[in-house]
Amino acid sequence: MIDKEKLREYAKKLMFDMKDSEYDTLQKEFDVILKQMDLIGKIDNISSVLPMFYPFELDNVKLREDVVNNELVFDDLLVNTSNVKDNQVVVPKVVE
Amino acid sequence: MRFSDNTISNLRIKLDKGEVSSLDLFNTASALAYKYQDDCNLFVSILDKKDEEKSNSVLSGIPYALKDNISTKGILTTASSNILKDYVPVYDATVYKKLKESGAVLVGKTTLDELAMGGSGITAHTGIVRNPWDKTRQIGGSSSGSVGVVSLDIVPFSIGSDTGDSIRKPAAYCGVVGYKPTYGLISRYGLFAFASSLDHVGVIARNVKDISLVTDIIKGHDDKDMTTLEDDGVKFSDYINKDIGNKKLFYIKEICDYNTVDTDESKLVLDNFYDTVNKVKSLGFSVSEVSIDKDLLNAIYPTYMSISCAEATSNNANLVGIHFGNRIGSKSIDEIMFETRTNGFSELIKRRFILGSYILQRENQEKLYLNACRIRRLLVEKLTDLFKEYDGMIMPATGGIAPKFGDKSDNLSDKYLLLENHLALANFGGFPSITIPSGFVNKMPVAINITSGIKTDAMLLNMASKIENSLGYKNMIVGDDDV
Amino acid sequence: MMMYKVVIGLEVHCQLNTKSKNFSSSLNSYNSLVNSNISSVDLAYPGTLPVVNKEAVYKSLKTAIALNCEIPKYLSFDRKNYFYPDLPKGYQITQMHNPIGKNGYLMINVDGVDKKVLIHDTHLEEDTANLNHYSNYSLIDYNRCGIPLLETVTEPCLYSIKEAICFLEALRSLFIYCGISDARSDKGQIRCDVNVSLSKDYNKLGTRVEMKNINTFNNVKEALEYEIKRQTEILNNGGKIIQETRRYDDNLKQSFSMRNKVDAIDYKYFTEPNIPKIKISDELITKIKEEIPMLQFDLVNKYINEYNISRVDATTIVKDRKISDFYQLCINKGGNPIYLANFITGVILSHLNKFNLSIDKIKLEADSLNKLLDMVINNKISNKQAKEVLTKALEEDKDVISLVNSLNISQITNKDEILNVVKEVLDENPNLVKDYHDGKKVFDYIIGQIMKKTKGRANPKLTSIVLKEELDLRA
Repeated sequence: MIDKEKLREYAKKLMFDMKDSEYDTLQKEFDVILKQMDLIGKIDNISSVLPMFYPFELDNVKLREDVVNNELVFDDLLVNTSNVKDNQVVVPKVVE
Repeated sequence: MRFSDNTISNLRIKLDKGEVSSLDLFNTASALAYKYQDDCNLFVSILDKKDEEKSNSVLSGIPYALKDNISTKGILTTASSNILKDYVPVYDATVYKKLKESGAVLVGKTTLDELAMGGSGITAHTGIVRNPWDKTRQIGGSSSGSVGVVSLDIVPFSIGSDTGDSIRKPAAYCGVVGYKPTYGLISRYGLFAFASSLDHVGVIARNVKDISLVTDIIKGHDDKDMTTLEDDGVKFSDYINKDIGNKKLFYIKEICDYNTVDTDESKLVLDNFYDTVNKVKSLGFSVSEVSIDKDLLNAIYPTYMSISCAEATSNNANLVGIHFGNRIGSKSIDEIMFETRTNGFSELIKRRFILGSYILQRENQEKLYLNACRIRRLLVEKLTDLFKEYDGMIMPATGGIAPKFGDKSDNLSDKYLLLENHLALANFGGFPSITIPSGFVNKMPVAINITSGIKTDAMLLNMASKIENSLGYKNMIVGDDDV
Repeated sequence: MMMYKVVIGLEVHCQLNTKSKNFSSSLNSYNSLVNSNISSVDLAYPGTLPVVNKEAVYKSLKTAIALNCEIPKYLSFDRKNYFYPDLPKGYQITQMHNPIGKNGYLMINVDGVDKKVLIHDTHLEEDTANLNHYSNYSLIDYNRCGIPLLETVTEPCLYSIKEAICFLEALRSLFIYCGISDARSDKGQIRCDVNVSLSKDYNKLGTRVEMKNINTFNNVKEALEYEIKRQTEILNNGGKIIQETRRYDDNLKQSFSMRNKVDAIDYKYFTEPNIPKIKISDELITKIKEEIPMLQFDLVNKYINEYNISRVDATTIVKDRKISDFYQLCINKGGNPIYLANFITGVILSHLNKFNLSIDKIKLEADSLNKLLDMVINNKISNKQAKEVLTKALEEDKDVISLVNSLNISQITNKDEILNVVKEVLDENPNLVKDYHDGKKVFDYIIGQIMKKTKGRANPKLTSIVLKEELDLRA
């Protein structure tokens, strides 16, 4: 079984936390899915198969012409945030 | 069970004759939406009527609903998640834009499983969605509200999204037709991404003709979505009634096997399937049994989990409460992101994100992520080969009827791994796939699913239309006494 | 004091000068009002998708080809996942697995010695938003977010600061010659990550230390000097170098460890599913190849070998593509390569530098310059005069030939004309004729008087002959 503290560490890297009991559920879920994934690894010659990242390949994919269109204006940002100052989004000081 | 005569074609005639106005249709739809809202919770937002755009399209004046993970400018779009509970898009999804331009009238935004990740209809931030056929049962998901609104005759059609089975499975649980097209036929621009390589926008209606009419409007190449297909000019609604001769179908033996099911209910679902297959044969279709390596089939679900969770973790990394979303916290940038996400996502979502992130970790990628992508290829190539020989695959859409709230499934059982999850095959390969009602088990609707090769949507819809006509559940809606 | 082998590797980020951004149609511009060049895609609003800019791909290909890279059959992109407020999507679209160019090289010349700098890869990605920091808050401007960025990564194959800087200059020159970027570090269009290791063993690499986001080449130089000194001291004191990322502060002229912040990140790269594989055709590669001009290194050799100018002059001329093109144009129009090199590296460049101008912004026709140099070559005017009048012409923004004519400075080479002046001077100063015949050294003084009268325009050689003849006649 995956260590619960490890799972908590993973969660924190994803910028959230869960309740303790939720990690218990997750731990069990991991156990199941990792068992299932183990089955995958046992399929014959799996390592020789090329991984597939798209449902199928497309011919004639068109690139975008380099034409300018500023779709939005600053006021559009205001629809979803009031955290603004000097036409910019304000956040607590970011320490580099 | 009742039948509705509110097909798009009938409504079109009534509108054109002036027997009803688009406002009448809207008001009826809106009234029904409110009527069922307390019981079923199908909508996140029920809208006031906007003036529809002038158009000669078949959809002009026809009411419809959109899943609430489709971007609508100026209209709250929450993805049924707390993190987006106040989010108002500043741009239109292509599918919404096309429907707006066709004059169709948006009635509301429908409830989904949070961020479209789930198949139960119980994880929305606004509460659980109930199955109109039996309110002690789930409706399925994630396009929960979108199937519900069609089954209750609130609107003739709705738009959903399908990443593993999110249209086609709840449609089966709800006795309506659910279709996801070939990947890239309908633009995903504006569909909140769950797993980009598996996500599809699709249509829910009560008959295949209506599915075709709507798809004709919303399909097409989109400069904003590089994965969309080039236009081929085929009009599905014209094509569905063509005589295209006797077609060859197959089903996968290992999945439709009585030995894999453990309950009487599931056996009845298989009974229904084989009865349906016989009806389909009597229409002139040939239906063959095909065998596929069971180890490979057992890998469908873990493959789906791996790829979908991996992509989802990344796709939702924009939800941090900086310039949109429900920002919580103020001390530091890390605190904002942390508190926003901790409070913004429900448990299920977080569990899937952690799983997806784990799968992508450097040390696990090869075994967990890339192996899943390899299985994906093996499965897709297997099906692609079969589609060279056969015109389509016919399968039971689900392994059972809509589950009761609180039902737990054994995620390692054959039934779960095969019968409940094979619909994801169509997402792996981008194959067009449609679910049509095929009868009842224990008073709940069940359905068959037909899937065909990529870019054969016209043929798929033609076959589905033919089969639908022979099964007797076309235009079915929930009976008065059921609601 | 031990001497260590220094090994430097560079990662150079260069903003491409496309009109629009890499994955959206927003304007790619350095100096716009904050948050004016934005779209739903740049802001990563839910449901948006990237659409690849054709021009960004072409310009990247051009660079990759110019860097002698292997070009893949297909273009594809990956996601680099990390949380930071300047990255709205929560990931950067880049090319981890399949860069647009790999295994290339760039020839440079360090103090007259040729060196082949190995290029690990060059890949197309996108810039982040700008974070502007204030006392207790930061502001986000999304204008920069999504601007196409080409990152070129060298192998650790540079063995001195000089080599590193020389490579950077050659690479910048390549960007400019290929027209893919203005490559101005003052505008943040070119930024470097630098890694350096020191080792006693000349066959082994030492522990690598990286410094991120250095803006100017001078800062690269200073950062390297600082880092090499720091590492040398640690090693001399028997210490061990820690593999880490450091931040160079160009105000404090010091570097600081960022270790726990950067090194621990697993970016969880995976293929960007929203951008299909895009075929790169052989025809396209051929077409782009034809558009690549001769680059600095080859041009220097050409100028040295074909035009017999010095390496110093050749290097100076090719530094700016426009200057080099102008030089070549003048030669094509019949100009003398040596005189041209002399005048361009002297008068013209100092004028351009003094007023911070570009050669296409000044009034100087190739034909006029050639004509002026012809006058020098044919002794119509002196070299000195030509330089003075050219300087004046540039400063007053006038055509140099018209100025020569109006100033009436062309040399007097007519013998009779000179004789008249000679006679005039001798008639006015009969004692000088006597002094001359008495053996006194007055010849140069008389020449001076003649020059004074002609405002220096009399051809010196001819004047001297004519004077001697006239003096002899008056013996």
